[in-house]
Amino acid sequence: MKLISLLFTLLVLSSTSYAELNKELASDKSKPTIIALAPHIVEMLYDVGAGEQIIGTTSFADYPEQAKKIPRIGNYVRLQLERVIELQPDLIIAWKSGNPSDDLARLEQLGFNIIYSQPHSFEDIASEVRRFAKITGHTAQGEKVATKFEQALVKIKQQYQDKTEITGFYELWSRPLTTVAKGSWPQQFLNICKVKNPFKQVLTPYPQISIEQVLPASVELIIQPLSVNQKEREAFNWEDWSIIPAVANNQILQPNADAMHRMTLRSLTALKDLCAEIDQTRSFLQQKHS
Amino acid sequence: MNKVSTRLFALAILVILSVLAAITFGPADIDSSQLISCLVGSCQNQIADIVIWQVRIPRVLVALVAGMGLAIAGAILQNTTRNPLADPYLFGIVSGAGLGATIANISLADNLTIALPLAAFLGALFSVIIVVFIAKVLQRMEQLLLAGVAVSFMLASITQFILYFGEPFATNRVIFWLMGSLARVEMSNFYVIASILVIAIITVLALHRQIDALLLGDESAASLGVDVDKLRLLMLGICAALTATIVAYCGGIGFVGLMIPHIVRQLIGVTTLKLIIGSALIGAIFLIWVDVIARSSLPHAEIPIGIITSALGSIFFLFIMYRSRANT
Repeated sequence: MKLISLLFTLLVLSSTSYAELNKELASDKSKPTIIALAPHIVEMLYDVGAGEQIIGTTSFADYPEQAKKIPRIGNYVRLQLERVIELQPDLIIAWKSGNPSDDLARLEQLGFNIIYSQPHSFEDIASEVRRFAKITGHTAQGEKVATKFEQALVKIKQQYQDKTEITGFYELWSRPLTTVAKGSWPQQFLNICKVKNPFKQVLTPYPQISIEQVLPASVELIIQPLSVNQKEREAFNWEDWSIIPAVANNQILQPNADAMHRMTLRSLTALKDLCAEIDQTRSFLQQKHS
Repeated sequence: MNKVSTRLFALAILVILSVLAAITFGPADIDSSQLISCLVGSCQNQIADIVIWQVRIPRVLVALVAGMGLAIAGAILQNTTRNPLADPYLFGIVSGAGLGATIANISLADNLTIALPLAAFLGALFSVIIVVFIAKVLQRMEQLLLAGVAVSFMLASITQFILYFGEPFATNRVIFWLMGSLARVEMSNFYVIASILVIAIITVLALHRQIDALLLGDESAASLGVDVDKLRLLMLGICAALTATIVAYCGGIGFVGLMIPHIVRQLIGVTTLKLIIGSALIGAIFLIWVDVIARSSLPHAEIPIGIITSALGSIFFLFIMYRSRANT
């Protein structure tokens, strides 16, 4: 039965153009048509089952695979107001800090209904998933994925809460050498995986530092996230600094930057993987000291 | 009609045609019959009506007055300082506006619609006041440009310092804002820029003979009864108000003020009257078409307008340098 319904859906989809599909959806106001203005918003909408309602998005919304087919109406620098007006979405979901605020103000002035996404923590992801699910008419599905996410988060937190802290350095960028501090997104990963960040208390969330400041911290672990899209990322050359314990013991981790830095449900998998890798370093250090 | 008048007349016709033609360009799919029916007020399609009247027409009209304003400001400065490289942006106006925009972005993020242009305007005005003050203290108005460059660097460094300690996304917003764009404009912006432009043009045209006297040198102008410092200060004030208003609404649109007057000198003439009228017309045509490129050359995005003007401007600038080398 499932197979038949799937084939039927595919048949309908193939005979209906994207625009016609949008018109059908537009007539059903419990399932509003949406313009989603950031990759993480698109991803969340697909997670709650509202992916088909998206009629426009910005560049770099590349996950899941179907998202690549959504028409683009701008990028993080500028939106094409004319295209937004033409598409007539019932709802625009924007990223408060990542979208051009003047364009959003203009759209609001033109009478569009805009709601904002601004996740700062893992807890925010769950609450935004619930909110978007409710607005787009997928409350049940939203509740399901959000609860699953929260339960998995609690489990990871519990798993590592009693572990001994190890000192780690997070290399966000190599030139200039840039790390993270309190108030930044990656700092949460360090907190949960029990990594002590020597630069946590710096005033700016993404401080630039020099190797001279890293040396006295005697870091036991270096985290160097790498993006899949960057084929040849120029990472900091730690081999020259074997005085640093992490370098001497070859404890340099290279997690997937894309999964870690995008504020979606997928970030939890990245958290789980990172904590597990860090735990291996922890065991290695404990064995070495014993 | 002499040659210059014929050329100015032809340019004026070209401005009108450019305005009409530019309305037909844009990412929204609107055919010519729809366009015409919307323009004459019998629009069937509500979406086309909003796109034309609330997006395209304000944009083209702001391009018209911003192009005029920037070109005129450059022309006035070049003639009053007798420096072919004078440009309103060299007085730190963009750096000042950038500082204002940064402060607005960091501290008033919830009210950016009003706060951003206002802060940018105040920042731009602040930079001009410092520049004039320094030149006054030095007792040498001809050093205005050098003082402007120094102030520009100083304000840029303060901006960078604030951004470094501020919210990381504010840096993006400010940098992109400084690249300039006409995408955010609305009809009220056009009215504000147009009224300052009218005041500027009337004042300059009324004083065009005195400004011409300045071209002969400060001593010659003074001997003809011109209060050199006062006139220069007044002209600087007009340029500052004009440029600061345009920058506040449109961000940084570089090089228009520098390049357009040089084209006008080749085509129309060097005296103030011809230069101002010519700059207004060619500046308007230039910016209208640059904005058309900005909004319709990429399929899914816009190109910030400042990138195009600066790219064209810098090539033009090198061309002038090459020509002046060939002439000597």
